[in-house]
Amino acid sequence: MKRLAALLATVALLAAAEPLPSALHDEDIPRILAFGPWPPPPQPDPSNRVWGQPAAIAFGRQLFHEPALSANGRIACASCHQAALGFSDGLPRGVGLARGDRNTLALHDLDLQRWFGWDGANDNLWAQSLRPLLDAREMGGSLASVARTVRDTPALRQGYADAFGQSPGPDDERVAVDVAKALAAWQATLRSGRTPFDEFRDAVARGDRDAAARYPQAAQRGLALYLGRGRCYTCHLGPSFSNGEFHDLGLPHFAEPGRVDPGRHGGIRKLQASRYNLLGPFNDDPARSTATSTAHVALEHRHYGEFKVPTLRNLRLSAPYFHDGSAATLREVLRHYSELNEERLHADGEKLLLPLRLSPQETEDLLAFLDSLNETATSPHPKEARR
Amino acid sequence: MTRLLLAAALAGGAASAWACGESLGAGRQTLTGEGWQVAWRAAPSPVPVGRHFALDIALCVPAGQALPAALRVDATMPEHKHGMNYRPSVKAQGAGLYRADGLMFHMPGRWELVFEWRDAAGAPRRLAQLLTVQ
Repeated sequence: MKRLAALLATVALLAAAEPLPSALHDEDIPRILAFGPWPPPPQPDPSNRVWGQPAAIAFGRQLFHEPALSANGRIACASCHQAALGFSDGLPRGVGLARGDRNTLALHDLDLQRWFGWDGANDNLWAQSLRPLLDAREMGGSLASVARTVRDTPALRQGYADAFGQSPGPDDERVAVDVAKALAAWQATLRSGRTPFDEFRDAVARGDRDAAARYPQAAQRGLALYLGRGRCYTCHLGPSFSNGEFHDLGLPHFAEPGRVDPGRHGGIRKLQASRYNLLGPFNDDPARSTATSTAHVALEHRHYGEFKVPTLRNLRLSAPYFHDGSAATLREVLRHYSELNEERLHADGEKLLLPLRLSPQETEDLLAFLDSLNETATSPHPKEARR
Repeated sequence: MTRLLLAAALAGGAASAWACGESLGAGRQTLTGEGWQVAWRAAPSPVPVGRHFALDIALCVPAGQALPAALRVDATMPEHKHGMNYRPSVKAQGAGLYRADGLMFHMPGRWELVFEWRDAAGAPRRLAQLLTVQ
């Protein structure tokens, strides 16, 4: 019935004298509708036995703000993933115990993701949560130090018992992975709120021309460019405005002079070597029902220099941009696509990106569209989903 | 040298009178070439963008040929000059039926879906179909 109602609404819109306002075309309707509805329902993670459990979510929030988990006792997850900055840090590249190679990704809508990190080196949120705890440049811990901290800190020991129904045992790796699963349970609740675009999309879905027309004209022109000549839609699609995969944007390949960041190629190699991937022994789902991507992912030369396609929701808070934080503003991001240096694209890479040569007006329109993907003031970003 | 057998007909065309892959049910598509037929149906259908899908496949052989030991499935975007980010696995189900898992079209646009195998003489065979996904 719902599908029929949506179809009727679309047909009604198509039949109208001016079905869509401004520069948008009727053939854009299916693509516009595919950006929603928002918010989607939470996506369970069967690989994490405490996913969705209130005690684990509470323990995860506690752990996220706990600096004792780091080697120097001064760095928590929340040090780099700050709520006021969309759970990012505002820096070009993350700084924990040392400076990293990549920009700190914002944390929201993580339950919708297939791969985690700019290189997709992890296929699940708990493995991705374990990684910074152990990374020498981030929190610098070890399986043993994480487990010991949980055992020796009364509040953490209690939180673990509440979440997992037993006190932390003697197996360091098991305790550390459980810590990561609690962290994942909490992060999975971070759902971004509705945006002006979502209001427009829903107006289109129900055939409400008056409501659709309230979407700013500049944003509508930007959306038309996004779906049309800009071809942004090719990779930034669906409710998260991302296909969840990896592409080469022609950015410099060097993390620092003389050292290449291999991007997705290195990510796949790490994934396949990890004990914590979905094919490994710590997946709580015996059926491995979410491991299809891991089982079939292909490692090819073209993956060198590819990085994850990020969501476009709530970009306002998560500057700077790109995997290396090299664009301070969205205007700089658009300038990159406008003036793209094709020489930097891998010779055997995809023949998709061409310099857009955006006019000043087109740049402003695209910025207006991207701005409409930010939460409205009445839905502070990002919040825990109400379950 | 690979012999290219062009996709000559889709379901509903003349070749469907062979009823290759009838067990796949309605919605299957059929490719033909030099007496060979490949019928396939996607699950889910239509093929989504950015999500994994599987194919149920039937391979029907011309007179004098035997079912091949293995069938390979792949897909590329001709305009973009790249393939999928995933390597499908294909399992024989017996009686010319196969199941391919792990496919994903990660971008909208034109994809060429390719089926490859070797005939009784060991010569490579290929049937392909262009699909547009949105």
